[in-house]
Amino acid sequence: MKRTTLLIIALAALALVALACAPAATPTPAGPVKFAFWHSMGGTNGDAVNEMMKRFNTAQAACIGEAVFQGSYDDSLNKLKAGLQSKDVPAVVQQFDLATQVLVDLKVIAPMQDFIDKDKFDLKDFEQNVLAYYAIGGRLYGMPYNTSNPMLYFNVDMFKAAGLDPKKPPRTYEEVSKAAAQLTKKDASGKVIVYGYSMAIYGWFFEQLLAASGGLYLDNGNGRDARASKAAFNSGEGVRILTWWKEGYDKGYFGNFGRPTADTQKAFDAQQTAMMIESTAGLRSRLNAAKGKFELGTGFLPRPDEAAFTKSGTIIGGAAVYIMKDRPQGEQNCAWEFVKFTVSPEIQAYWHTASGYYPVTKKSYDVKEDKDWVAQYPQFLTAVDQLHAAPNTRATQGALSGTMPAARQRIELAIEEVIQAKKTPQQALDDAAADVTKLVADYNKSVGQ
Amino acid sequence: MSETTARYSTLQKILLYALLVLMALVIAFPLYQAVVTSLQTEADVSNYPPKILPLSFNPQNFGDALALAPIPRYLLNSVIQSSIVMLAHLALASLAAYAFAFIDFKFKNFFFLLFLSTLMIPWEATIIPNYLTIVNDLRLKDTYLGLTLPYLATAFGTFLVRQFFLTIPRDLHDAARMDGCGRLRFLLTIAVPLARPALGTLAVFSFLQTYNQYLWPLLVTNDKNMRTVQIGLALLQDQERFLWNIVLAGIVMILIPTFVLFIAGNRQLIRGLTAGAVKG
Amino acid sequence: MATPHSRDAVTAPTPVTRTARSARMRALQNFLAAMLFLLPSLFIFVSFVFVPLLKTIQLSAFFTDPLGRMASFAGLENYQRIFSEKDLANSLKVSFTFALYVVPTTLVTSLFLAVLANVQLKGISVFRIIFASTIAISAATASLIFLFLFHPAIGIFNYILDLIGLPRVQWLTSEATALLSVSMATVWLMTGFNTVIFLASLQGISQELYESAKIDGAGFWASFRHITIPLLSPTIFFLIVVSTLGALQAFTQINIMTRGGPLDSTNVMVELIYRAFYFNGQYGIAAALSVVLFVMMLALTTIQFGVLEKRVHYE
Repeated sequence: MKRTTLLIIALAALALVALACAPAATPTPAGPVKFAFWHSMGGTNGDAVNEMMKRFNTAQAACIGEAVFQGSYDDSLNKLKAGLQSKDVPAVVQQFDLATQVLVDLKVIAPMQDFIDKDKFDLKDFEQNVLAYYAIGGRLYGMPYNTSNPMLYFNVDMFKAAGLDPKKPPRTYEEVSKAAAQLTKKDASGKVIVYGYSMAIYGWFFEQLLAASGGLYLDNGNGRDARASKAAFNSGEGVRILTWWKEGYDKGYFGNFGRPTADTQKAFDAQQTAMMIESTAGLRSRLNAAKGKFELGTGFLPRPDEAAFTKSGTIIGGAAVYIMKDRPQGEQNCAWEFVKFTVSPEIQAYWHTASGYYPVTKKSYDVKEDKDWVAQYPQFLTAVDQLHAAPNTRATQGALSGTMPAARQRIELAIEEVIQAKKTPQQALDDAAADVTKLVADYNKSVGQ
Repeated sequence: MSETTARYSTLQKILLYALLVLMALVIAFPLYQAVVTSLQTEADVSNYPPKILPLSFNPQNFGDALALAPIPRYLLNSVIQSSIVMLAHLALASLAAYAFAFIDFKFKNFFFLLFLSTLMIPWEATIIPNYLTIVNDLRLKDTYLGLTLPYLATAFGTFLVRQFFLTIPRDLHDAARMDGCGRLRFLLTIAVPLARPALGTLAVFSFLQTYNQYLWPLLVTNDKNMRTVQIGLALLQDQERFLWNIVLAGIVMILIPTFVLFIAGNRQLIRGLTAGAVKG
Repeated sequence: MATPHSRDAVTAPTPVTRTARSARMRALQNFLAAMLFLLPSLFIFVSFVFVPLLKTIQLSAFFTDPLGRMASFAGLENYQRIFSEKDLANSLKVSFTFALYVVPTTLVTSLFLAVLANVQLKGISVFRIIFASTIAISAATASLIFLFLFHPAIGIFNYILDLIGLPRVQWLTSEATALLSVSMATVWLMTGFNTVIFLASLQGISQELYESAKIDGAGFWASFRHITIPLLSPTIFFLIVVSTLGALQAFTQINIMTRGGPLDSTNVMVELIYRAFYFNGQYGIAAALSVVLFVMMLALTTIQFGVLEKRVHYE
């Protein structure tokens, strides 16, 4: 009797599990082809992605796309990797610049170039520097979707108060340091209340500063002439960046608000730092925060010297969209239609004004919506000028390797080691380079190279 | 409750109240600040010094947060998901704890350690195999079962309830058994009521542990209608424009269900039972 | 199950062997009954914890492809590698330091709060609710709130320090204070749960015990030491074991507040595993690290049971 009761309970528990075993039916869709788009845009940018998808769905009848938020780029990439083992993948996925090589090596994407060639799609209006990042061996693997680069933000009011000319923001490391010294304010007790300059301890900034000084991050032309085999950032250019950073920090002119870029942004908003390095994508939000408090100015990303401005430039940051080859041909075709739709001048202009990322086609600047926006926020032109000023070199194309996310974290540790005076810039970068080389070797081995 | 207030002198009472108020302030402050900030404008949050007093009232933040993420739907899913896990934990932990507390069986220590060992495995070790089991083998993507199945058992809860069961005199169990009371009846009619505070605590804990999950729901759901609150919280965050007031408004909203549960269960949790009842 | 009966009839045993046999029977019955009670939990654990754990142990002996599948046999190479690099040693140190900061502080604080909230005063239930309130807050939520309070530019904590004229603290951005800051937030978060458990246990202690101790002339401290602590010992033991396991696997708050930095000063074990697994694509290494952490916690818990449970006073 007692035992039967127990047995019933045990069985009930098992029944719950057994329920699980009923296979779910997968109905074949009739009518429009459905496809999924995985993205990593939170906040208002996520809203803009949904709006873009809505416009696509109303603009044509053959395809119905659904935009699905999959967390950060790292979350989404890991979900994609797991999904590849269980056929749970979308037709099109947004992934950040750093994932380019790993997506190619996984052999899971249908190269964008195939669709471009088949459709005879014209790329001549595209920003060539932007395309160059996502091209390997001259073939485009992903379509640039949201792109940005870092620039100098400064507080115009503070510039004026310190007797600096806001029309001529500092351009070289030396000028930044000098201006920072003038802009730094201390209270009676000697405590710094306003730092002259700050930048988040963010590996992306190091990558950008390195490229802008003409330095390479990885060997073999940043992994673009041949597969990268070791780190190259422990060069004179790399050391110079950290030496400059450390010096400003030691003198008390440069603030350290930690790794999260959002924290340095807030310091800028709260007028605790007069200058900072930040992505162009945050410009609109900074303007909102500055409204009624101070005027905001923008300038080029600082370089070690004037000569560097002609020699090199910034890298394309942001993300691209990739079409997955595991999905049925019908879905891939819809995905391609969606990709074309997103890079059309009107949609890029919308994306530009809604998100702050700059357009990937030059024609977007002719769209009225965009013209009005730029007229309202002339600070935005800095980023575009900076993009156009950058020559297309191995340095500005950016580093290509499956270990870039790990390398970026390793660099952040090296920066902290320098700032906290644990190591000299050369020593910190040499140690980081040794680790990154090991990671590159591991990675190459894992993909059978 | 006996009339015991008289046992303190006035001075003692003042000191006790002062201590109580001080500790309450320390504990409540972070939450208070979150609520205050959730009602500020973006400009308020971008200023130094920050505002400690609730001087601005900008409920629009909540509207903005709701426009960015379908929080009510996510709340519903999280509450369903967490309730399933909570109920399973209460049932399974009570059953297992009974065995560990009242039955003398061979390899008991081994089995207990086996249970506890499930608390020692970093989540990274199980999440991908479980994802493949749930999504690939069982085809449970976008279902509540898929969200909950791997987490239905609890070594933590078993341990907690066992500790409470162990304080019930063994004679009570043996006498009840002698009187022909079945094991299950003893568990349900005597042991469970006595361990009510522990079970209440477990209920809140299990609910919250599930409510807290981010990566697992992200992996096993794609359907917007099946997603949960922590994904909603991630949706509110944009590294390029981190809006603290909006994020904190989202946080305040997702705190509501757990606080309702906590206040509702408070009687069970904190007041427990009178001392006499425990000792039978 | 009918066999024993038929055997009984044939062999006509002596009373002694009958007792022995019935004892064995009872042992078997007990074992089966226990298994039935454990079965639902065991089923879930085997399917979703132990089988994946075995796969992880297997994976730790392999090199993997970028998807994390086994590619070629590595033997002990993953283990050799993690033991030869400094990351594991650093993370073990950080994790144990974190546990050392968090576990005793939380226990003492919450015991203090529980005893304080156990007095019979008007309005005490309001204080009980406030003291226990952090039980309703998830680690992710608490981390975001503290991230805001610790904020290097607009943080309230630094503002309060400014107000009372103390120097500012670089809470999460300095190697010296980051782990302490994360610990602070964690103690705050865990206090609610621990206080609730202590309060529940305190309610279980008969007031008569205190009354009679008072009559015998025992003061507050004497009753606390000789009545409260022994009677709370099952609870204290439970909290030590589970809080230690929880602290050694802290992840959410670290990942949200510091991501292991600055200078790896908060790079706890699970964060280290997370990096290898999530960012670096080193699945074999991540598996080996998981196994190492598992073995260490298993050893620690076994020791805790050996040393501490003897002192626990049940009933």
